[in-house]
Amino acid sequence: MVERFGKFFRYHFSHWVYGRIPPSRSIALNNRSLFIFPSKPGFGFLLLVLICWLMATNYENNVVFAITCLLISVFVITILHSFSNLSGLKLSFVRATPAFAGEQLVVELVLHQEQSRYRESLSLSFLGEEAVATTLHDQEYIHVKVPLYAPRRGIYNPGRLTLESAYPLGLLRVWSKLDLDIGCLIYPQPIFTSSETVNAHSRGNGPLQMGDGSEDFVGLNNYQQGDSLKKIAWKQYAKEQGMYTKHYADYQDERIWLDWNDFPGLDRETRLSRLCGSLLQVSATDKAYGLRLPGIEILPDNNEEHRLKILRELALFEEPSRGDEEEQPFRKKPL
Amino acid sequence: MIPSWQINRHALIWLLLAFVAVIFIHSAHLPHWIIVAALVAIICRVQRYRGAWPTPNRWIKLSLLALCLAGLFLEYGSHLIGLEPMVALLVSTYALKLLEMEHRRDALLVVFLAFFVAAVQALFDQSIGNAAYILGCFLLVTAALVGLHQGDTKIQPLRPLMKAAVLLLQAIPLMMLLFIIMPRLGSLWAVPIQSHSAKTGVTDTMTPGDFSRLGRSADLAFRVSFDGAIPRQHKLYWRGLVLSNFDGRQWSRSAPDDFNYGGFDKGGILQWFGRQTQPWDSLIERLGQPLHYSVVMEPSQQPWLYSLPTPLPKSTGIALTRDFRLLSSTSVTTKKQYEVDSWLDYKIAANDVSDYRRATELQIPRGYNPRTVELAQRWRRQNSNDKALVRKVLGLYNEKFVYTLQPPLLGKHSVDEFLFETQRGFCEHFSSSFVFFMRAAGVPARVVAGYQGGERHPDNYLLVRQYDAHAWAEVWLAGEGWVRVDPTAAVAPERIEANLEEALRDKEGFLADSPLSLMRFRHINWLNNIRLQLDSLNYSWARWVLGYDAIQENLLEKWLGSYSPLRIALALLIGGGGMLGLLALWQLRHRFSSKHDELDRAFLQLCKKLAKAGIPRISGEGPRAYAQRVAEQRPDLAREVKAINSVYEHMRYGNESQERLKVLKWAIRRVK
Repeated sequence: MVERFGKFFRYHFSHWVYGRIPPSRSIALNNRSLFIFPSKPGFGFLLLVLICWLMATNYENNVVFAITCLLISVFVITILHSFSNLSGLKLSFVRATPAFAGEQLVVELVLHQEQSRYRESLSLSFLGEEAVATTLHDQEYIHVKVPLYAPRRGIYNPGRLTLESAYPLGLLRVWSKLDLDIGCLIYPQPIFTSSETVNAHSRGNGPLQMGDGSEDFVGLNNYQQGDSLKKIAWKQYAKEQGMYTKHYADYQDERIWLDWNDFPGLDRETRLSRLCGSLLQVSATDKAYGLRLPGIEILPDNNEEHRLKILRELALFEEPSRGDEEEQPFRKKPL
Repeated sequence: MIPSWQINRHALIWLLLAFVAVIFIHSAHLPHWIIVAALVAIICRVQRYRGAWPTPNRWIKLSLLALCLAGLFLEYGSHLIGLEPMVALLVSTYALKLLEMEHRRDALLVVFLAFFVAAVQALFDQSIGNAAYILGCFLLVTAALVGLHQGDTKIQPLRPLMKAAVLLLQAIPLMMLLFIIMPRLGSLWAVPIQSHSAKTGVTDTMTPGDFSRLGRSADLAFRVSFDGAIPRQHKLYWRGLVLSNFDGRQWSRSAPDDFNYGGFDKGGILQWFGRQTQPWDSLIERLGQPLHYSVVMEPSQQPWLYSLPTPLPKSTGIALTRDFRLLSSTSVTTKKQYEVDSWLDYKIAANDVSDYRRATELQIPRGYNPRTVELAQRWRRQNSNDKALVRKVLGLYNEKFVYTLQPPLLGKHSVDEFLFETQRGFCEHFSSSFVFFMRAAGVPARVVAGYQGGERHPDNYLLVRQYDAHAWAEVWLAGEGWVRVDPTAAVAPERIEANLEEALRDKEGFLADSPLSLMRFRHINWLNNIRLQLDSLNYSWARWVLGYDAIQENLLEKWLGSYSPLRIALALLIGGGGMLGLLALWQLRHRFSSKHDELDRAFLQLCKKLAKAGIPRISGEGPRAYAQRVAEQRPDLAREVKAINSVYEHMRYGNESQERLKVLKWAIRRVK
């Protein structure tokens, strides 16, 4: 019963909060978005006040009475100090470094303020995640990296970020729950297969294929923007003969295909994980690699951009949360 | 979820400083071993912080606790329920907790204990100095609390102290409002009080030597403020106790139910302030206008209150007794303030005195002082007039007797020995022998104990000290009722007209128990001024803070119109709300004047100037487009306006310093 009431209360409270603080990439904290309530020690302090008041009353001692009044007054004044410690602070989402599912993801934020003031003991955390503590000293802005567990591939919204502080006395907790409209790209959790499997599918004796390969040196081409740095003919460049790229040729089947159909009988997520593992292995070599997913084909190549493109495709392929998101916007996620 | 659960270094320093400060004020009434234990706790704590000693394990902690409890039991075994054992227990808990604290949670408990232990000190001493010291302790404890919640320890170690000072200073106005307005409920239940505090001042018995002992002490008994001028010195008889029983050596009160005046055996013996008038009140005839004054009494641990005859109480918790003196509902254990109306002209039981009363006030023990009894009866036969008899006895004193603080010791027939042999004595000898003589002669008489005179402070109040303690007599004369007779005045009139110091000039014994009292240096002018200033401060403190309960109701009634819960709540809300509002404006002032606001204001000023010059800004026009248009229409302003716009854009969208704002404002001022 109590639990159900708690749920009910939390549900309505979060709706109220969401109404007050709509999602945005950058949010300024003010009296609309900040909440304040006595903390556990705060209630302890109020108990102390009560005991002091009883002592003052029973002993009819006006000095103790004055002390009681001072304690009450300090408690009330602290509300203002706690509030002004956070008020006027602005939070902006900068980026989230992509990560593999099951690993740690880092969300990068900027805290900035128009005035140069001390903001003490700020703590930032996502629900159920480790908190990061920071302090602004007279600075206009600081970068904060908040770590968080990446649960599954796709675009992940970690929900509301809790910014809180108990400064100065720890008697009151001021907090805000902010939806910074964060979308983190999470790659599938890689499953590594033995290297032979990858090689077995890639070796072939077909005719030489002109084009972007990686096996045999064919000649030099003029450098074009976007060419891989690996292929630049540094020797020629050093001799000031101009900027060239070394051109290699592959045997046709020497190109490696990361193919959906290589893993028959496995479910979608496992296949993607295996493909991801293979990708990581093969991208560490010089070989060109491509991707074949149902309805998607990326031609083989070997550079960082290419690798990220394939990872992105793996992350977003028939993305499970994509559909959900439209039906259920971020702001209905539990706090 | 605050990540750091550790106690940082600054917080620990402030916690230890606060600990030392709090324990120090308690040292006066704590057993020595607790002080030693506290010192050990500090050393352990510092060593633990340095990594020299390990964290105490459970067994060490438990045995320390057992040791402390055993110590407390041995120390206070017989009277464990009392203020001192309670404080000793609190302080040991405080020390043990300091020793074992590890997490911030423990540290918070230590902080709360520190607040409480510091507050408890005020039960022992309410002086202004002690209150200031407690405030100082609070500053340290608050600094520790701030330190615990300050994330970064690399910054200046004094920051927590500054923050604490700001918090406490800002809290003071609201504290004063709460103090003034919050209603006092009065004691809810009986509480243990200090067990070792001796009764001070005049007690309810009188044996030879009691008053001469008080004459050695310069301690304060009470202070009095009069509405208007202070009456002449010889009228200042502070009546406290009536002593009617004599057992040959000691005078004491008659039992409480003996107040059987004039046959009014119905009704109570006490007439409380604010309650209905008792029938025996008709015995008194009050003449002329009353004198209103307010007394702040020092703790005496006794319920007797002092007033000029004849009084009517004007504060709650005070009663008038059947012998027309004042009584407090509880013993005076802390400073007590009360208001009184006194009629200096009065007649009590002028026409008749009840048989019972007469019997009580004529009682003398058999077999004592035969020579005095014999003389009294002889003089009685010679003088049929009571008044003449009184004059004759006073004449006897005046002729041969000496007033001294160091009278010789007296044996069994004390009155005989005093009257016929030693003839040297203090007020108790004179009053005692006089009343005995009168009773032996058949005139109802009794001893009255209290204080006489007092020192006039330049701030128009009176200081009454223990050496002003005095005993005199009251005799019943037909047609006049109870009349005050002071035999001491017959021997040493300067005692009554001036003060004891005057009467005992160049004699030993005066202030013998107060060797360092500033009273001894009254002839040094500047020292005396300091003494009077200090007393003035202490008196204001006692009157307006410690004794505030007594004046709260009248004061609030004057300020709020009426003393009702609604008015009090309104005053609290409006006053407190106003104060908080002002503070909030101050605290959040940054929000109302940010860099951008100032920048925009400066820019608007420019727009106004240009509008006057005939080029108003079109709504929706950006600053750059506007500057461009101005430059086209007024080529003479082109350079200035473009420069201003460039600085504005940099400041608005870039990261320019405040310095440039000044330049910008200056440039805008120059545009004509």
